[in-house]
Amino acid sequence: MPKPADLLQGTLDLLILKTVAREPLHGWAIAKRIQALSGEELSVGQGSLYPALHRLEHQGWITAQWKESERGRAAKVYSLTRDGRQQLERELDTWKRLSSAVGLLLKRA
Amino acid sequence: MTASRLLRIVRLRLRTLLHPRDADVEIDREFAFHLEQLAQEKEAEGLSREAAWRAARREFGNAAALTDRSRDARGLTWLEDLRHDAVYGWRMLRRTPGFAAVATLSLAVGIGANAAVAGAIAAVAARPLPFLHADRLVAIRAYQADHPSQSQAASMAEYLAWQQRSRTLDAFGASRSGPRVIRTTADAPADRVQGQAFTPSLFATLGIRPAMGALFAETTNPYSKDALVVIISDRLWQGHFGGAGDAIGRTMTVDGARRVIAGVLPPGFRYQDDNVELWIPLIPGRDSTPPIPAARTLAVTARLKPGVTLAQAQADLDEVSAALAAETPELAGWRVRLVPLRDTMYGWTRPRLLTLAFAVATVLLLTCANIAALLLARGASRQRELAMRVALGASTGRLVRQLLTESLLIGLLAGIAGLLVARAGLTMLTAALGPPPGLPRLGAIPLDGWIAGGAILLGIGSSIAFGWLPARAIARIDAGSALGAAATLARVAPRAPRWRGMLVASQVAAAEVLLVGAILLGVSFVRLSGRELNFEPRGLLTFSYGLRAAEFARATGVVDGEREFEISPIASQTIARVYERLRALPGAHLVGGISYPPVNSIILPTTTVRPAGAASAAPLTRTAAYFLVTPRLFAAMQTPLISGREFADADTGPAPWGAVVNETLARLCWPGEDPVGKLVALGDGRLRQVIGLVPDIPTRLNWADPQPVIYTSFLQQPAQYRGRMVPMFGEMTFVLRHSGDAAGLLAAARQAVAGVTPDRALVEVDAVDARLRARLPESRNYVIAVSAVALAAAGLAMIGLYGVIAHTVTARAGEIAIRKALGAGRRDLVALVSRPVALLILPGLALGAAAALALSPLIAAQLWGTTPRDPAIFAAAAIALAAAALLACAAPLSRALAVDPARRLRCE
Repeated sequence: MPKPADLLQGTLDLLILKTVAREPLHGWAIAKRIQALSGEELSVGQGSLYPALHRLEHQGWITAQWKESERGRAAKVYSLTRDGRQQLERELDTWKRLSSAVGLLLKRA
Repeated sequence: MTASRLLRIVRLRLRTLLHPRDADVEIDREFAFHLEQLAQEKEAEGLSREAAWRAARREFGNAAALTDRSRDARGLTWLEDLRHDAVYGWRMLRRTPGFAAVATLSLAVGIGANAAVAGAIAAVAARPLPFLHADRLVAIRAYQADHPSQSQAASMAEYLAWQQRSRTLDAFGASRSGPRVIRTTADAPADRVQGQAFTPSLFATLGIRPAMGALFAETTNPYSKDALVVIISDRLWQGHFGGAGDAIGRTMTVDGARRVIAGVLPPGFRYQDDNVELWIPLIPGRDSTPPIPAARTLAVTARLKPGVTLAQAQADLDEVSAALAAETPELAGWRVRLVPLRDTMYGWTRPRLLTLAFAVATVLLLTCANIAALLLARGASRQRELAMRVALGASTGRLVRQLLTESLLIGLLAGIAGLLVARAGLTMLTAALGPPPGLPRLGAIPLDGWIAGGAILLGIGSSIAFGWLPARAIARIDAGSALGAAATLARVAPRAPRWRGMLVASQVAAAEVLLVGAILLGVSFVRLSGRELNFEPRGLLTFSYGLRAAEFARATGVVDGEREFEISPIASQTIARVYERLRALPGAHLVGGISYPPVNSIILPTTTVRPAGAASAAPLTRTAAYFLVTPRLFAAMQTPLISGREFADADTGPAPWGAVVNETLARLCWPGEDPVGKLVALGDGRLRQVIGLVPDIPTRLNWADPQPVIYTSFLQQPAQYRGRMVPMFGEMTFVLRHSGDAAGLLAAARQAVAGVTPDRALVEVDAVDARLRARLPESRNYVIAVSAVALAAAGLAMIGLYGVIAHTVTARAGEIAIRKALGAGRRDLVALVSRPVALLILPGLALGAAAALALSPLIAAQLWGTTPRDPAIFAAAAIALAAAALLACAAPLSRALAVDPARRLRCE
């Protein structure tokens, strides 16, 4: 199996926001979810995941709460705030413009 | 940004700031949870529990580093770091209290001195004078075209003409200062106080309001009720009237004339002179048009019209004075100069304050350089601690920040301690800066918020100045070698960065500049205070004697605001009788008299002197100090006559009237000629023939330029006098040359005086000596201040030098040991150690000499009797520094010579 691709700088925020948009998740689950939903193509190491989570939290896009996990352990669970939802839409927009531009370039070049 | 998001962000940041530990604990818990999940996953893949945990930990990596990065992500880390660094730095400083104390105290002295001088400069330059439209007030001074540096007061005619003709000035006022004799009640003793005569318009021009009562009403009649009033100072009101509310309307006498008290000025009012106690109206009177040359006694202040610049007003008045000079031949050669009022009052402080500012700024820089060196040395002993931090993941930037925070702590502490130094410094500054005679002193300068803020800012600024380079040098550390075994055993001192040497060279240079300046000031002070007196004060008994003006002078009127008197011959007759009795005393070899002590007299009457006759093309009027003398004065003082003769017994009233001039006056009036035989017209309107020429006796010891002086006989005086120096005709300071028994002669002199006027005592015994002793204390304080700063600078430079040499010896101890083992002699070792020293000092000295040469024009105006480029003084400063450098080398050098090769090499 080839190594999962490194994430493009800046797309990690988008992935995290999108992942927690569906339901509140703890860090471990976010990493797993990204890996699963990308067909094991994308992998987020804890080295970049947690700094990103804390940054997003401190920017007010996501909020965290300590909750019981499925196995009775306390876990820090992140959920999207209302401002975060708007931020997600903006980032999605940016991403679409970027990827279509890149696609266009690859097609024409 | 929405409000809810803002709130969320603020709450989070506050939490990380206030409870940083909570945030860290939370991160740890979060990571623990992650690790557990990871381990469970591995266990599910079939690993044993132990192996799964091991694998999970390995995969998770350096948790501490991750915590750090995560903390960085929170954005507020710098503040948290600052807190950590400050706490840690404080702990490190407390662990080395010696270093902390030396650094903080030396910095505090530098900062305090700088804050004090800067505060004084700001107080002089920036704070507005307490007058209305103070920025538009100018003083108008007259000067002669051939002596532009000697500003003079204006005459009444000039004042009136300027006022009528100028188009750029909208308010005018004139004043005249001088001592006044007052009597506040009929039976109170007479008191002598400083007074000023003000034109009524001057109070309005300055925008002064009385604390009580009223100011002068405009009047042109010097005999009107409005003119016969007096305004008193708050001090006089409190002292003589007990602050009574009904003091207004009472009468008091001023110079024998009754005046009604019209008002009291607010405390702290100060214009031109200090300690002025009363103001009387100055009314241009009876014949306000010429006779010119009238006395030049008026200090004129005017206000620029709104929007008019100083240059425009100057051009305007240039025209006016040119026209005046064309109309009145006596004013030929006279020009005017406009000076901002602030400069006339406090301009004298500027060169001294700037010199001091330069000196203390240099000292602060030197101090910073030394602390930088100390930090560097301290960094060397902290290598292991810092290497440990690097090994644990601290970045270079992080270390620099840590080290800078420690510097900042020192700087802040020093800034706060510097406040105390600044307060003391401000007090010393006002003492060190004595004004030239006739100018207000620099009042007390309070330590205000600006100075305090400045001190703190200086602390922060200097901590960056001395902390930045060492922090960079120390933080560039190789953790491996610093932690390695070799380092621990050999304790290799790290190489000093190259800037260390350049720093010391510039320290030497800066110290040399200050030293040259201090020596120059000191030499001119010594030359000034040791200048030729042209008389022999030793073996001279002196005392003042005087009659009250009321006893011999009768006021006959007022002209141009100046009173006119009839002088009764009683004054000269009484003095002549006293003089004769003193001459008859057996213990007195030679006796003379002069109206006021010849040197440093507080009262110094002046007169105008105009050479008469066709000797020179354009006879110009000069102002000269004016003394009345008895026969044989110069013989008694042992002042040699250059040509002609002095007054003799035959020079009485009916004989032809004569005058004796000093060299300066002779040079001004008859350059290159012998003045004896020339005719001069004095301010009293009488012609006199010059009979003698004497060398300059300095009228003011701390005035560099000698003043022109003219002496006339006390017996050859007109019966009319106009002016405020009328007491002059009843005053005489007698000088008695004796052969040792001063006490016996004094007792005999007392008896002789009592024989003539039983009710008059000798006023002041040793009058001349007292004035000689009171020579230039203010200049001395200033020279001492500059010298102290320069010596401090030299000391700091030597400490810096010592540091470098000691470091060289330590760093090269191994090399020295090897050379010694291989048979190097003392001389080789001395050369080895001193070569780098010479490489530092010689360029430093050369640089310092060049800088001192370049800066010499700045100090030239403060020097007397020496030039700012005196090679002997430059050599003295360089030699002194080189000698001090040798001393600084001595200890490290002897340490190098004492290195025991066997022990040292075994150590390696």
